[in-house]
Amino acid sequence: MEKEKKIEYIKEKGISKLVLEHENHKLERNKQLEHYEDVMYQCGKCGTCRTIFKEAGWERVCPSGEFGGFEAFYLGGKNLLTWGITSGQIKWTEYLAKIFYQCSVCLACTQQCQIPEIHHYAGEWLMAMREEAVRLGFGPMSEQKRYTEHIMKENNPYLEKHENRLDWLPSNIKQSPDAKLLYFVGCTTSYREQNVAIATAEILNSLQIEFKILKDEYCCGSPVYMTGQTQKAKKIAEKNIEIFKDSGIEKIITSCAGCYRTLKDTYPKKFGLDHGIEVIHLPEFLLDKLNSGTLKFNNQINMKITYHDPCHIGRHMGIYETPREILKKIPGIELVEMIRNRHNAWCCGSGGGVRSAFKDLSAFAANERIEEAKKTSAKAIVSCCPFCLNQFKTHIKNNEIKAFDISELVRKVI
Amino acid sequence: MNNSKIVSELEKVVGEKYVSAQPEIQFLYHYDFITAEPEGKCDIAIIPNSAEEVQEIVKIANKYKTPVVPWVSGINFGSIATPRKGGIVVDLRRLNRVIEVNEDDMYAVIEGGVTWADLKGYLEKNHPDLRAGITWSPPGTGVVPACLCYGMFDLGMLGGTGAEFINGMEVVLGSGDLIKVGSCSLSNYWYGRQPLPDLAGLFIGWEGTTGIVTKMAVKLWPKLPYRTTYLAIGAKMKFGVPVMLKLSKAGLGICDIYFVNLGWLQSVQELNEKDVIKDPVKNKMPDFFGLLTTQAYTEKQHKAQCEAIEAICTESKLRMRPTEETQAPIQLWGCWNFARGGGGQWIGSYCSTRDIVKYYEQSREICIKYGRPPQFYSRLMFGGHYCVARTNINFNKNDPNEIKIARKLLKEIHDVVQELDGVVMYKPPKWAVQTYHDKTLPATSDLIRKIKQLLDPNNIMNPGQGIGGD
Repeated sequence: MEKEKKIEYIKEKGISKLVLEHENHKLERNKQLEHYEDVMYQCGKCGTCRTIFKEAGWERVCPSGEFGGFEAFYLGGKNLLTWGITSGQIKWTEYLAKIFYQCSVCLACTQQCQIPEIHHYAGEWLMAMREEAVRLGFGPMSEQKRYTEHIMKENNPYLEKHENRLDWLPSNIKQSPDAKLLYFVGCTTSYREQNVAIATAEILNSLQIEFKILKDEYCCGSPVYMTGQTQKAKKIAEKNIEIFKDSGIEKIITSCAGCYRTLKDTYPKKFGLDHGIEVIHLPEFLLDKLNSGTLKFNNQINMKITYHDPCHIGRHMGIYETPREILKKIPGIELVEMIRNRHNAWCCGSGGGVRSAFKDLSAFAANERIEEAKKTSAKAIVSCCPFCLNQFKTHIKNNEIKAFDISELVRKVI
Repeated sequence: MNNSKIVSELEKVVGEKYVSAQPEIQFLYHYDFITAEPEGKCDIAIIPNSAEEVQEIVKIANKYKTPVVPWVSGINFGSIATPRKGGIVVDLRRLNRVIEVNEDDMYAVIEGGVTWADLKGYLEKNHPDLRAGITWSPPGTGVVPACLCYGMFDLGMLGGTGAEFINGMEVVLGSGDLIKVGSCSLSNYWYGRQPLPDLAGLFIGWEGTTGIVTKMAVKLWPKLPYRTTYLAIGAKMKFGVPVMLKLSKAGLGICDIYFVNLGWLQSVQELNEKDVIKDPVKNKMPDFFGLLTTQAYTEKQHKAQCEAIEAICTESKLRMRPTEETQAPIQLWGCWNFARGGGGQWIGSYCSTRDIVKYYEQSREICIKYGRPPQFYSRLMFGGHYCVARTNINFNKNDPNEIKIARKLLKEIHDVVQELDGVVMYKPPKWAVQTYHDKTLPATSDLIRKIKQLLDPNNIMNPGQGIGGD
């Protein structure tokens, strides 16, 4: 009767406590495929991963599936293809690798699934399948290989020169060479969304925060890791940590959602590199300053906006309210929500290596999100990820809606 | 079968992106990934975007005499969308539009691939005063197949099975011809199947072996402002069922009544069947859980209904209290995952309300004999005129031995409950269909065979399911 101890009985009242399966059985994260092989086949391909069903809206959530059409491109299909591989029912092919890469790993699907192990851990085997594809020579995709080679050579995926990384930096930005606080700018911000870098640096200056920017800042490794190239990404991480340590860094602020997740979560948890450096995302820092009264909003912006949750801080890190709280405190800002928000947010379509390798899917996802934002009658989409921002700016047509990073708005009102 | 030649012709119909003969795509259609039924074989999968494209696909299939299997989500506990004899799986997921909602006559015209989530979402956004009957199947499963296969909804007490919710259909026959049945065949209105010869019966219960339904009108119902759901708890099924039957015939605005045993209740609560008590009755646990919903137009009417319901329960010594009600397609993953192995199947039947308790007790004994917690569910239908009775079992689909045991257990339950007069399985797998073939009058079987031949002369429509002598 050992098993029945898990249920408590109270005389004449029946069951008082049920021990749920997910409370019993916790899996570890960041493991290889074999670690998950006994749970992924619990999937019944029921299609719940395709649609928001617990909140109003009943909208589709998976850009990969909606674009790809076949079940293979939804989580259910990927779960069962993974089972097919681990059980020897199917073999690795280039097409199978493409199925797993044609996905931004936004994890909106896992939020819907109510099978506890799939809900909590499917993201792990989606990444493990990419690692396996790399190990077997089926991954990454050719465009991803190209940018990885460039990262190894020039420290950024944008095919830009490393020596131009700080071209954005205006002469009026005051840095403190001995500061222990680093503003980690990131590749997208340095080369593509330089306004975000300028706004962030100016905000830090206006708050009289002592910080520095590294002359030799390198890619955080996220685009390499997200495409299954874990070993290469780990080498990048080791190099970065060495630079941080040599520069006496104790705390990092970043305005990039992807860099934040990578430095804070992937380095220690996936790569086992416990760097001991505090990593914070700019909105966290700003909200803290607002709440303490150090940061004050002195101007106003009269604009209706909608907030787009970046996958890298939202579903990947569980941060949904911090940016919203800041936006709501900006005088004149009216924040309206898109139907798909927070854990149900539709991905912008740029992450997971999709923007480089699957341009049609990437554009499909971005356009869908822009249309959703327009339906709110907001005048701007605001996010706190330069990759999302750049994606929106690329796909917004005829200036029909604007796109801003949260740092740009904050800069205007301080 | 020359796949590449057929693929090439199909690509001309729907475009290259929506046809595939890749092994990975074939894999995801070859089995329903839930049941203990044998795997099938998918040669080609195709996703059309219109009825016209479906017609062209069926014509090509006729030309090559290759099977065509209509498919929406492919999970139905009978594996009736598993391609038994290879061929083309016609995945209807792009036919996911709600074409029209007629608020006056209260119906929605939907395409063949509309899911419960699609329909529910559309109604919530555009017609919030109307409700569709909602099934317990997951939100990603299809409305049209549920209606065609006698699925049941949470308005079953009002409207009967899904089949009885059907007002009309547009169907591509096995020949590739397009027909309409019901009032829509003569007008723009899809209000019903009366008073013409009811051709809907040529497609309901035929498991996709006579045609592919590309449009369907389904009945909707008004959302009444006053609504209460009650939970009743009793010691044994035999004490609770008579009270439910009495309530079903009392005219108290009841739109849904169903009841489950403890095993079923546990299965939907994220538990592992290995960790739960196997025999609640022996352990003096409550084994009857009934839920009923009553609704009314006025507060006074509703209060009177609730008082009457409570009085009937009190008289019968059944504990009952109002409970929170949610109307939603939900992922009742316990149906297939109680064993934490992703495998589940049922012996699900329509039957006389007289036999509910016998059905449960007989299937319960067999489950306990196999060391499985019995999971039983019953729903009273159409004002209490008949009911559904169902016993689920679960297994690890990654373990061939467990699948073997599951098949044996299912067969045993089936054979025992078949002895109860009037028990007829819905969404039956092929081995169960054969039972009915043997029981039916020869002339009835012959008529079914002739109809099948008439509508599908080349026997290409979902062959191997045992329908029409196939």
